[in-house]
Amino acid sequence: MSKAMLIDTTRCIGCRACQVACKSWHNLPGERTTFSETWSNPKYLDSNNYTRVIFYEAARADGQPAWNFVKRQCMHCLDPACESVCPVGALTKLKNGPVVYDDDKCIGCRYCMMACPFQVPKFEWGSAVPLVRKCDFCADRIEIGLAPSCATSCPTQALLFGDRKALLQEAHRRIGAQPGKYYPEVYGEKIVGGTSKIYLTPVSFEALGLNHQGFRTDLGDVPYGIYGRQWMSKVPWIALGVGSLAVGLHYINKRRAEVQSQKSPEGKEE
Amino acid sequence: MAEKVEKWYPGEGKLTPGRAILYVILVLGLISAAARLFLGLGATTNLNDAYPWGLWISFDILSGVALAGGGFTMAAAIYIFNLKKFEPLLRPAKLSAFIGYLVFVVGLFFDLGQPWRIWHPMVMWNPHSVLFEVSWCVMLYTTVLGMDIFIMALERWQKFEWVNFFRSIYLVLVVAGVMLSTLHQSSLGALYLLMPEKMSDLWATRAIGPLFFCSAVIGGMSVVTLESLISSWAYKRKPEIKLLGSFTKGLGIALLVYFAMKVTDLYARGATVWVDDAPHFFFYLELFGTVALPGILLTFKEVRNSVKGLYWAAGLAAFGVVLNRFNVSLTSYGGYREFSYFPSFVEIFITLALIAGGILIFDLGTRYLPVYKSELSGEPG
Repeated sequence: MSKAMLIDTTRCIGCRACQVACKSWHNLPGERTTFSETWSNPKYLDSNNYTRVIFYEAARADGQPAWNFVKRQCMHCLDPACESVCPVGALTKLKNGPVVYDDDKCIGCRYCMMACPFQVPKFEWGSAVPLVRKCDFCADRIEIGLAPSCATSCPTQALLFGDRKALLQEAHRRIGAQPGKYYPEVYGEKIVGGTSKIYLTPVSFEALGLNHQGFRTDLGDVPYGIYGRQWMSKVPWIALGVGSLAVGLHYINKRRAEVQSQKSPEGKEE
Repeated sequence: MAEKVEKWYPGEGKLTPGRAILYVILVLGLISAAARLFLGLGATTNLNDAYPWGLWISFDILSGVALAGGGFTMAAAIYIFNLKKFEPLLRPAKLSAFIGYLVFVVGLFFDLGQPWRIWHPMVMWNPHSVLFEVSWCVMLYTTVLGMDIFIMALERWQKFEWVNFFRSIYLVLVVAGVMLSTLHQSSLGALYLLMPEKMSDLWATRAIGPLFFCSAVIGGMSVVTLESLISSWAYKRKPEIKLLGSFTKGLGIALLVYFAMKVTDLYARGATVWVDDAPHFFFYLELFGTVALPGILLTFKEVRNSVKGLYWAAGLAAFGVVLNRFNVSLTSYGGYREFSYFPSFVEIFITLALIAGGILIFDLGTRYLPVYKSELSGEPG
């Protein structure tokens, strides 16, 4: 059964308990931070921060200010681009949902960082022996039947952990029950072939202005890994074609030159 | 050390100012390399999470491999298309191709986060990954080029039985080289198939594989031309103008074909071409200044038959290939993030040292290997 997480941003109060829980479970160091103009803290995901809540202030229709809190972390795609591009197979999508990373395989080429449509994998730039870091959906906890640490810590049930199918049904039920409250699209249901983190938002991510902060709305429904796999499926045929063409042309051109030199014994080239 | 009997060229062995400068750059590069290894990527480079790939990928890897395309292009011209008259250009092309791939491998070594795991793709397979294929092709092709250089060394050591053995299987090497090059030259472009949403419309295309292949042929041919001109000048020989004039006719045609491919691709995708901003400036410079211009220049006999004309046309074409790789891998991301990237001194010094080291090895190779004259009559075939 593929596990997933439904992130209902309308329920989030921006307490950042999930950020703290994530740091505790993964044993990540705390760091001195400063407030940014957006109140989001820390300002970016990095190798020590696998998740963060983006604070976004918008004006409601009645003129009152409205806060939106959007938790960001690895989306755990159903067909991840990172898994597809990794030359050593260090990234794997597990059957029960998480996209996990093998420290012992990675060569540090950073192609996953380039290819991820959500810009999630981060690099340990501060280390002399750096590895890639990202949210692992607490694969170790899921394995023993626990919910991810962030979901466990959430006081408002904004992070709902469960089977993906059931959570999608629940998401659509909520949209149907309160059409005014939610944007009628579940982010992550179809985008790049579907993700294991699915979002309910009051308005679209484009309207939230987060489509350039890791929640792009123009990605399409095709998993990006397909482009690489299509190319790779052609490779054996290109190899065979070029190889046999090269051998064939070699003998044809050689023979042609022989015939030509027999015809004109001077063997002029000009 | 065996004592040398003859001088290969006048002034051999003296430390010329040119070589002194190259050695200084090399030393600076070695210091930078040590800093990179001990302090890590974050401390010594300007790479960051927004720009995981920088100068080293753009230059050492993408540009280096494209400019080293002369090896397979010349091998294909001579052994597959039987254009025997270009044989004098073959051996320098092979030597420079081998050096180009060495630069690639060393550059990659410093770029990887875990350089000592560079062998991992050999045993840890992911056949879905374009980069996996590129690493295998580069590994195998560098071996093919290495064998080629080894055959030259065997000639130098007068081991003719061995030379004859290798010549009997030479076609296998040529076909393998052409096949592997076709694959990885185009696949280096195919790496960028997965990130259309991050790239500018000008370079994000499904046709990037064939485009990379075609421009690698151009890169290879223009470097072969430049190399012949520069070594004639450096070793005070007469430039082979007649041969190069005929050769660059082919380069001109390749440039015009590439121009047509690029324009067709842009038109078919309906990319917005006429905009006044920085990426478009680099795009115009690339397409018109370094593809169309040298292509048109080389249609003139007067250009092809003059040293100056050849320098300009081949120089522009080679620069254009490098510019294209920088555009695809750096310029293209300009509008994507709020961050900017400019390489650090360590990045620049390592890259410069790789170039300097490449030139010094080439110089060494031309002195110790039968590059400009075959010890035996005729080439293998």
